[in-house]
Amino acid sequence: MDTTQLLKGVLDLAVLAVLREEDGYGYDIMRRLREAGLDEVGDASVYGTLRRLFAAGLLTTYVVPSESGPHRKYYSLNAAGRDQLTRSGKIWRSFATTMDTLLDDRGVTA
Amino acid sequence: MTVMEQEIADYVTRVRAALADLRPAVRDELTEDLAEHLAEVAAEGDEPLADRLGTPEAYAAELRAAAGAGGPAAARNLDQRAAAVAASLRARLRVADRNLGPILGYASASEYLRLLRPAWWVLRGYLAAMLITMVTTGASFGLLPRLGGSTLAALLLLAVCVVASVWLGRRTPTLGRWPRIAVRAGTAVLAVFAFAGFVNADDRLGWNESGYQPTSEQVPFVRDVFVYDSEGRLVENARLFDQDGNPIRLGYRECVREGLPESNQGVPAYPYCPEHAPFRSGPVGPRPSPVPPTPAPAPTPTDGPSGGSAPTPSGGTTAGPAPSSAPPPLAPLPTALAPTPVPTSS
Repeated sequence: MDTTQLLKGVLDLAVLAVLREEDGYGYDIMRRLREAGLDEVGDASVYGTLRRLFAAGLLTTYVVPSESGPHRKYYSLNAAGRDQLTRSGKIWRSFATTMDTLLDDRGVTA
Repeated sequence: MTVMEQEIADYVTRVRAALADLRPAVRDELTEDLAEHLAEVAAEGDEPLADRLGTPEAYAAELRAAAGAGGPAAARNLDQRAAAVAASLRARLRVADRNLGPILGYASASEYLRLLRPAWWVLRGYLAAMLITMVTTGASFGLLPRLGGSTLAALLLLAVCVVASVWLGRRTPTLGRWPRIAVRAGTAVLAVFAFAGFVNADDRLGWNESGYQPTSEQVPFVRDVFVYDSEGRLVENARLFDQDGNPIRLGYRECVREGLPESNQGVPAYPYCPEHAPFRSGPVGPRPSPVPPTPAPAPTPTDGPSGGSAPTPSGGTTAGPAPSSAPPPLAPLPTALAPTPVPTSS
């Protein structure tokens, strides 16, 4: 199974998660996702996801002037975003546990 | 603009072109940090952007899907479709621009054309001067805008127009929207005018060239034609015609004669200058009263146009003796001779 297929379903959650601790701008968020092991995430997917989460009212944005280049648009989780992260996180954990159990029962090794 | 900045600008343009069907606000939102992002990506390494991120079109598709912005199949109005076509056309032009560049020895063709801009400003000033001259004096498109026929005025006008055009050219980018549109429209008019003017001038040059050639190539350097009758008398006001009844034009009208009809229905009368006749010593015929010495062919001219055509088919051009009688009866000759081609051709 292709990771990109899986990513499509959970990218929202991943983006919300990397923004929980610290605000970030597009390129920065992408780097955090890669560092976390999501190598195959596409740049455009991250940007598109940020836009969609913002449009859904889960993120707020602010612009920070940068001394080393153009101004950067920072994204931060708002209350609705944190809420969504908690709920989606629970769903994912429960789903992941179910899948792990299913595979363990059938003897599929990790 | 560095090569990298150019590459980024091209990439952004193509992504935006691929998203041209979206509402402008949505598209702007989706691509607002794109240039900055590409700059960060570009700083990572020397790889071309397309190798690292995929084609701009693929990037646009991914962005569109992830943002849930809807596919291109979504209902589009005419404006958006036109915008999409225009955007993709612009993107293509940019690519062609960049591909043409190396042939000219520059990064892009537009970079080379930008260098030629001051030269175009000078040409535009010249064309403006020419247009002003043509409109005010009704002169034809020439090489110098001779305002009032004066060379000095021409040079002055030329200098003023060229300086004004260069001045305007340097300031066009700083002008407001409407003045800039006015300048562009004026320039477009000048370009059309220039094309028409140059074509017209070229045509006239070609005409002048052929105009220098004598009508009859076998007899060069003919200045005048002297016709003598069988008795050696100079025939005045002789008309020459070819087999089709068209007048034969030879030589140049150098001297002005008074009192005699210069031409009859545009038919030249020879000789132009009887006093330059080469054989004067011969039996110079009494010019005012030539009727008695030539009684034989007399019927032809006296019969008038209707009867005149009857004998002529046998030899249209041998009507030489007939005109020697007198200049006045010659008047109907052209009309009388005109029907000759009809019997000969049938």
